[in-house]
Amino acid sequence: MIWIAILGSAVATYLTRSLPLGVTPRGRVPAAASRYLEMLPVAIIAALVGPAVVAPGNTLTHGAEPITAAIVAATVAWRRSLLAGVIVGVAAVALLRAV
Amino acid sequence: MGTTLVVGTTFGVVARQAGLEPIEIAAMSVLVFAGAAQFAMVQLFAASAPVPIVIATVLFLNLRHLLMATSLRPHLERLPLSRRMAAAFVLTDESFAMATGYVRRGGTSLAYYLTFAVALFVLWNLATLAGIALGSAIGDPRRFGIDFAITATFVGIVVLAIRRPADVAVAIVAGLVAGALALAGASTIAVITAGALAPFVGVLRRR
Repeated sequence: MIWIAILGSAVATYLTRSLPLGVTPRGRVPAAASRYLEMLPVAIIAALVGPAVVAPGNTLTHGAEPITAAIVAATVAWRRSLLAGVIVGVAAVALLRAV
Repeated sequence: MGTTLVVGTTFGVVARQAGLEPIEIAAMSVLVFAGAAQFAMVQLFAASAPVPIVIATVLFLNLRHLLMATSLRPHLERLPLSRRMAAAFVLTDESFAMATGYVRRGGTSLAYYLTFAVALFVLWNLATLAGIALGSAIGDPRRFGIDFAITATFVGIVVLAIRRPADVAVAIVAGLVAGALALAGASTIAVITAGALAPFVGVLRRR
């Protein structure tokens, strides 16, 4: 199953990269569609964060720990870098679990 | 290029810790070759998401390539179709940003773009292999909080991708709606539904 998902994802990704270079597009991309496409990645990645932070394991019980760590990771990523944010976020979770 | 190395290594570590086999992780970097999508796949595999949901999420996540490829088309038009199709495979956020800057400065060499884009592909895959080795060496991921690395990576990607107030609104709505859907028991469709709907908040705000 995992291989079907990997191959399917590979084909889907390649199509998004190659379609405009393969077929001749007619007209221009409408501005609203263009804005929608620009915002999709942020929306989907934020949607991946939501359940992981609010409901790990589909319950609210462990909420406080990932929420705190996510805020820490966000702050450090913003002020420093992606890698620093990941390292500090991971350290925060380890620390919160140890307490 | 430094970012590619770091994120690629992180991907290898996180995917290995999530229980994926080295060959599967390496195949994702070779065949899919899209950072955010690969991280999303690991998260969805860990949540035992159905195959169509994984593929649909990856498709939506990568639809932005349509815009980038459309904008590069005039510059790649003189290549034969087969070469254009090969150039499309190595189109990423990074290679697109580089190409856009290069064209604006008056550059016209296609070899320059292709060399850069292929170098990124090679680096991404080498970094993935390094991450697989590293991830295999770390035991007990929960104890060190490594299981949180993927969420921390997503948080960082979102924060760094924010350019306008509308992006903040979109990210918050997407996160909350997905979280609410997961709590309501609809975790399989939570990400794709929230992710596909939230951008409308930004489109309507028009800023």
